Amino acid sequence: MLDLIAILLSGLVTFVERAIFLVSKKVRPPRRALRYLPLVGPAVLGAIAVPGILAPRGELSLTETIPAVIAAIIAALLWRWTKQLVIGLVVGLAAWWGMIYLLVQVGWLQR
Amino acid sequence: MTETDATRSAVLTGIRDSLLIVIGYIPFALAAGAAMAQTDVDPALSILSSPIIFAGASQLVAIQLLGSGAGIALVVFSVLVINARHLLYSASLEPHLAGWSRGQRMLAAFLLADPVYALAISRFEREGGAGPKGAQLGYYFAAGITCFIGWASLVTVGVGLGGFIPDWVPLELAIPLTFLLLLLPLIKDRPGLVAAGVGGVVALLAAPLPFGIGLMVGALAGLFAGAIVLRRTQPEDADA
Repeated sequence: MLDLIAILLSGLVTFVERAIFLVSKKVRPPRRALRYLPLVGPAVLGAIAVPGILAPRGELSLTETIPAVIAAIIAALLWRWTKQLVIGLVVGLAAWWGMIYLLVQVGWLQR
Repeated sequence: MTETDATRSAVLTGIRDSLLIVIGYIPFALAAGAAMAQTDVDPALSILSSPIIFAGASQLVAIQLLGSGAGIALVVFSVLVINARHLLYSASLEPHLAGWSRGQRMLAAFLLADPVYALAISRFEREGGAGPKGAQLGYYFAAGITCFIGWASLVTVGVGLGGFIPDWVPLELAIPLTFLLLLLPLIKDRPGLVAAGVGGVVALLAAPLPFGIGLMVGALAGLFAGAIVLRRTQPEDADA
């Protein structure tokens, strides 16, 4: 029961964070800040994507980082050519699995 | 093209764009569901966390904290911090939804998860914008509801599969790759590139900070760095 209340309250605070500037006509971000709003998307998505690519399993090391970065470059190039998220994602992920498999076989990476 | 045609076409595009994202979320959703199933928390509550919270990373943290015996205050505070980026989404989307009714904006806010924001902002900020109001609503809610149903279903499957996903299927890279591919269309100039790069590197350096606030620290640093570049490259015009 307490667990349920915790999840319900978590949903409520999440909703308030999403709604606060959208719903109220009075609560406004500062007017000068509006100029910088187009930077919010790149900054937040970069902060989610880059750490996961440079340290895919929470660890920054040659054998973890290099395969993930190569996979990310493959995914980005495929996206540029095809404009299809899923193609870049599937091929990038497959390339990553292939490189991990090889590194494990060579003995440079522990599974 | 009549307005009805434009709306119908926007709904179909919204469903198509978001289905591709849902497919991209399969690895993360399964992994998150399985991790939730390994806690002592009632699996039904893990499944319910999707429709109630609808924010993947924070759901996982909340369930794991509950499983480790954390109190309600810590759980809710962690979710508040992890999801604080949605404040930025809310502010960023507001100018585009200014013509929508209050009820429509409330519903839109409920669906404003990361991928829905990414889809909506690329739609609104592309050449020509998101079209007439019917097409705007059609695209947003088609994409939002598809993501909502898709995410909730996939997490349910993940909870059900529990420990049956073998260790040798590493899924960790799926989510950062997904977000990278959502990010690329948003980088249109040097300030955007700097915001993403600095945001990413600082978030990595700040990753050891508790409660996932490294993400917020990185995002704010990226925003700040991008703003500095914007001021240098595009000096203040009459908009101040």
